[in-house]
Amino acid sequence: MSEPKSIFDPFATWRPFQETWAKTMGETVASEEFAKAMGQYIDNYMETAGPMRQQMEKAVERYFQQINLPTRSEVTGLAERLTNIEMRVDDLDSKLDEALDHLKAIREALAGLSPARKKRSTSKPAE
Amino acid sequence: MTNTPPAFDPEEAARTFQEALKEASRNMRGAQVVAKSYDIAVGLTPKDLIWSLNKARLYRYRPTADHLHRATLLLIYALINKPYIFDLRPGRSFVEYLLSRGFDVYLLDWGAPGPEDRRLSFDDYAAEYVPRAVRKMLRVSGATEFNLLGYCIGSAIASVYAALHPEAPLRNLVLLTSPLDFSKPEDSLFSKWFDHRYFDVDKIVDTLGLIPVEFIETWSKMLKPIENYVGTYTGLWGKLDDDVAVEGWQAMHRWIHDGVPMAGEAFRHLTVAILFSIVCPSLPTE
Repeated sequence: MSEPKSIFDPFATWRPFQETWAKTMGETVASEEFAKAMGQYIDNYMETAGPMRQQMEKAVERYFQQINLPTRSEVTGLAERLTNIEMRVDDLDSKLDEALDHLKAIREALAGLSPARKKRSTSKPAE
Repeated sequence: MTNTPPAFDPEEAARTFQEALKEASRNMRGAQVVAKSYDIAVGLTPKDLIWSLNKARLYRYRPTADHLHRATLLLIYALINKPYIFDLRPGRSFVEYLLSRGFDVYLLDWGAPGPEDRRLSFDDYAAEYVPRAVRKMLRVSGATEFNLLGYCIGSAIASVYAALHPEAPLRNLVLLTSPLDFSKPEDSLFSKWFDHRYFDVDKIVDTLGLIPVEFIETWSKMLKPIENYVGTYTGLWGKLDDDVAVEGWQAMHRWIHDGVPMAGEAFRHLTVAILFSIVCPSLPTE
């Protein structure tokens, strides 16, 4: 791998410092202070964004209801119900597979019987 | 004192000009490589969809070997990136390698959760989705045993599944880069950053519902900020003349910037239940 040495290389001035910076930044992000500052920043963001988001969502929901369009919460609710239905279909698929396995086992058992016994086992019982 | 300007050397000026042009075109190529990396084709190994549930998809890669191992192999990937890292580019594909070694490979792709999935928890992934995918895989393949390979958060999910299903015909459990053991918080930046004294996970999850891609990407990159924000580009500039290396860089760059949001409840589980209770799911010993 050839490192460009040209004065026009945009990273030429950066490259010699990269290792030092990586070490310094690595130590910074691993510090307790950084964790505290990041937590504080995210907390502030949530304190501001949370209520604003909530108010915005309420306003948009009301507007969509007024113009007779499905709201996001209604679509989300439908999507959740759809997933539940998919799960039930998957359950049925599983039960169908089990039933098919049983049927196959019965067929194989019947095929293994002698013709006379097969006739007896398939004939109707006397009432 | 008089300053005499240096004598103008037309040959030197021409050389500098040529060098500037050459470097400008090289820089242009570098910028193009970065810009085009978002469109590079990835995950090209042929596969078929065999099952789906909500956003999750189970794929079977088309076998290439003449003889297949009896036990199938299910790959479970993380919840925060796309699983094509298993199948990056032809010639640089883990899946391609596995297929060439005779494995019958299945991939469980979680897809990207929408707002309706914000309540999906770790339990849902490990106890609802994985067992159903395993059932379908065994059904389709006719195999009586399978191997499970979990990668990143996928390995935590695979571990929980294995712990909950000792009856499953699981032959081998393979875990890569597993976020399971946080018994030494000093070794994990995430343990430090998500310390409940500073990090209010409930507030974040209750406010946002889904953890946005931007949050996850920033946290991931901040693990090694200089390397990830600058080093990757200085590295690229150093190998711009190597087409094979450039292609690999582009594929990785695309993958790194192609994340998916994470269901809020699963994130809460990951940070609270796994990161801080230091729970390593007990695995079956046999």
